[in-house]
Amino acid sequence: MNHSLTILTLVPLLGGVVVAAAGPARKNFVRLLALIISLITFIGALCLWTHYDASAGDLQFVEKVDWIPSLGIQYYLGIDGLGLLMVMLTALVTPLAILVSWSMDDRPHIYHGLILFLQAGLLGTFTALSFFHWFMFWELGLIPAFFLVKLWGGPNRGPAAMQFFIYTMVGSVALLLSFLAIWLATHSFDFITLKGMAHDGTLAAKLHATFGWKNVGLIVFLGAFLGFAVKVPVVPFHTWLPATYSEAPSAVTMLLTGVMSKMGVYGFLRILLPIFPDQIRLVLTPLLWLAVATIVLSACAAFAQRDLKRILAYSSVNHLGYCLLAMFAAVSAAANVHQPDLQKAAALDGVLLQMFNHGLTASALFLFVALIERRSGGLRGLNDFGGLRKVVPVFTGLMGIALFSSLGLPGLNGFVGEFLVFKGVFPLAPWAAAVSTIGLLVTAIFLLTLIQRVFCGPLNQRWAQFPDLTTAERWLVVPSIALMFILGVWPQLILGMIDPTVMKLVHSISL
Amino acid sequence: MPFILGCAGALLTAFYMTRQVALVFFGHYRGHAEESGHGHAEAHESHHGHDHTPHESPAVMAVPLIILAVFALLLGFIGTPAWPWFDGYLSGEAVHFDFSKLTESGTLILMVTSAVIVFTGLTLGWVLYGRRQRQTAEEKDVLEAAQPVVFTVLQNKYYIDEIYEATVIRLNAVAAVFCDILDRWVFGGAVLLVTYLALGSAWLYRLMDEYLVNLGFDTGCESFRGSGGWLSKLQTGRVQTYLRVIGVALVVLVLILIWGPKA
Repeated sequence: MNHSLTILTLVPLLGGVVVAAAGPARKNFVRLLALIISLITFIGALCLWTHYDASAGDLQFVEKVDWIPSLGIQYYLGIDGLGLLMVMLTALVTPLAILVSWSMDDRPHIYHGLILFLQAGLLGTFTALSFFHWFMFWELGLIPAFFLVKLWGGPNRGPAAMQFFIYTMVGSVALLLSFLAIWLATHSFDFITLKGMAHDGTLAAKLHATFGWKNVGLIVFLGAFLGFAVKVPVVPFHTWLPATYSEAPSAVTMLLTGVMSKMGVYGFLRILLPIFPDQIRLVLTPLLWLAVATIVLSACAAFAQRDLKRILAYSSVNHLGYCLLAMFAAVSAAANVHQPDLQKAAALDGVLLQMFNHGLTASALFLFVALIERRSGGLRGLNDFGGLRKVVPVFTGLMGIALFSSLGLPGLNGFVGEFLVFKGVFPLAPWAAAVSTIGLLVTAIFLLTLIQRVFCGPLNQRWAQFPDLTTAERWLVVPSIALMFILGVWPQLILGMIDPTVMKLVHSISL
Repeated sequence: MPFILGCAGALLTAFYMTRQVALVFFGHYRGHAEESGHGHAEAHESHHGHDHTPHESPAVMAVPLIILAVFALLLGFIGTPAWPWFDGYLSGEAVHFDFSKLTESGTLILMVTSAVIVFTGLTLGWVLYGRRQRQTAEEKDVLEAAQPVVFTVLQNKYYIDEIYEATVIRLNAVAAVFCDILDRWVFGGAVLLVTYLALGSAWLYRLMDEYLVNLGFDTGCESFRGSGGWLSKLQTGRVQTYLRVIGVALVVLVLILIWGPKA
């Protein structure tokens, strides 16, 4: 059997132990070690990318071993286009996060160890196909994130970390209860088996038989939904996010927004959509409203923020709202739609692209904010700057590209995902798509306001000596910026990898 | 109707272009007064070293302008009715030079009308602005003097920006504030409420633990301790006490044997 996925997760996990054990004395050694480990993981992910057979679109690199046979629990790993894309994103963002916190001087061995643990948790989540160890990694990702916010965060880190932890924990407990109910009914934790059962109706029948209540499927779905809704997040379960994103050290925010928020969307795609399509259809209208509310409310709230990190945090909620919209629309019955499968595939292709693009762009934006903070001594208010383009033209240009990518300028990566989402959603759920376009407009407004207030206008004389990007910093942002252009004009690079997987998903969730 | 509107547009274009050329290039130079009056030195901060007297453009600007001007002059000739090369290029049809097409009735009228409109516009512009040049930059426009209300409306672009400011932009700002309040107070408030509920129940449980459970437990412990302490007095480990007890017991036993009930 091929053990590449196990190894890929173990590298950062064991690496994290080694880094944390290296002790506080050898700071540079620790940083270098963490970077090398994350680069090894990146190369590993690249190898998976090249060896993955995209045309098949099924699960590959599968590992399946009996773990606790008496409970029917297996160690079951595998990735399809979706898992591969998320593994790639994780492997891409982590080295950047480690590099941007290079100058962090407070207990770097613990810090970098926790970042690697977080990466292991993410990789484990994206490769697991059995709820049992999937949930272990899901929680493993939470704990290092909590300590990273709690120990290295901003002035209000304590409450923010606590809120983040409790929020996510409540969601996780609801998710766990739902899966225990499913296990009681089916004696299976295996996503693929459950998907099959959902498709032929045995899951609903078994749940009904076990609990003797017709609507138990809906309750189980809502429990699982809560778990993912907190993580994505869906309005109104999102209030932990702006607090956490703004208090977390920027490198951690990069990982939180770049990858961890994708865990929620991934959960929707891997678990909720395939296992509960009937339940989603049952409550489709309220769910679509939630998605629309997420898009519009977060965009408007972002416009009211005065802290760069909080603006970008709300912008993150907004961008993931498009994923929600497309996912819910893709499950709709689509009775009167011409070629519904094609539209659904477009919407879900858009979701996957949007996940990757948002991960890339949002992490780059938080990286830029980290660089601004480093120069301004921690100031990051919208009105603290002004006219910076006169002193830092390169910085302005590159961050401007990332901002325009975020607002979906054609030619940059952000456009393609959102375009496909709207192309697919318009015929499937016209009213939801129409209302959501308000979000697109407001996003453009607040991001342009950001550019205007920070970079344009008269120079704030306080920042007359604001240093431009150093060569090292340029190299740090160049890969992300280059990918923004490449994916903007050549989205096929990713679409080619995910399309067969998406087609399979569409078939499995259709009526 | 669209034709008439288009003609009016053409007339106005000819008029304002003439006005612009007349005001910028004709008459005498009024730039010096501008210099001190309007403090725009700040805006020009980044263009250090440029003096503000007009001068011929450098080649980098003049050459592209010349190229554009040449095309502006010549491009009209590829679309005339006599030789509609551009039409032919777009439609893919072969085009022949045919001078007689210019004199076809429809074409001729159109050409004459168009020329008349343009020359009317030019004349109007020249009469109002070219013939009688203003003396200072601050002097009122002739139209402003004649029709102050119309001129103000035009100057403010029909107040379209102001209308947007008052409607769409304000709406957006209100929506932003609304969402922020929703987030801070409604959703945040709900979270806070849950927090306080949790804290409250934690406090309640602590009270119950301290004063109900612990109190009962503590009372039980206390009585055990009391009885233990009392019992411990019996077993002090001191031989004298034991002997004393044995002595007393002996005396009691003897007394019972002497005066006790006879068997």
